[in-house]
Amino acid sequence: MKISKLLLLLAVLGLGAGTTVMYSGIVNVAADEPHSDLVYWLLEETRENSIAKASRNIVVPDLSDPELLLTGGTDYEFMCSTCHLKPGQKESDMSLGLYPAPPNLALTHEDHGHEEHGDDDADQTARKNFWVIKHGIKASGMPAWGITHDDQRIWAMVAFMKQLPNLTPEQYQVLTAID
Amino acid sequence: MKTLTKIALVLIPTITLSATLSGTANAHDPKFHVKKAEKANCSGMDHSKMDMKDPVAVAMMKKCMKQAKAAKKAMKGMDHSKMKKDEHSSKKTDGHNAQDH
Repeated sequence: MKISKLLLLLAVLGLGAGTTVMYSGIVNVAADEPHSDLVYWLLEETRENSIAKASRNIVVPDLSDPELLLTGGTDYEFMCSTCHLKPGQKESDMSLGLYPAPPNLALTHEDHGHEEHGDDDADQTARKNFWVIKHGIKASGMPAWGITHDDQRIWAMVAFMKQLPNLTPEQYQVLTAID
Repeated sequence: MKTLTKIALVLIPTITLSATLSGTANAHDPKFHVKKAEKANCSGMDHSKMDMKDPVAVAMMKKCMKQAKAAKKAMKGMDHSKMKKDEHSSKKTDGHNAQDH
């Protein structure tokens, strides 16, 4: 009986603290003010685990067809490059202004500070990329392109993103130009 | 000579300052936010160095061939004499409309 009373008290206190934080306005939501390391870690871990869980059963199709690079390239240029950049570009207004900062997809895994190990990881990356493009990420600036684009078109973007870190600015220009 | 020195003293800092300020303003010029639909620049492609097993090279070739084909088709369908005639008549119509206003 004592334990249940204590638990009830803790729950009421927790709810009270949460409500106070919510309505007092003390949480700074400005994008130019970074989270504390702890909050950043909590949010990032939550996001990464959520994407990994949601995307694990997605079957990756054959992404080696060169035609996919042409469809995906044009879509990438017009839908993604403003935030996720392109070969030879280091920053943009969006890449600097968004928080969390959108990853530079023109960089290799090594440039990002981690390595990719074989086909399994490549497939996992493709699955995650597909899921993120299709469903977007809440409160991050990443839209759900699946609402307006079919799966085939999204897979073409995934295929293009696979090649993107190895493209020169000249190759990028040709692949992403309109017909 | 003195007048020239005075002019230089006023002009040099003014030009330097305006150049610096315009440089800063350019960083957020709206034209940087506009995406232009560009044609593929195929002039720098060296076909002999291309690996035809590489999907990137194959895709680039396809893009450039498609573009060349489209350009050829557009050139074939052109009737220059008719185009001039159309241009002339459209100008005439514009002028007529302008008078109406």
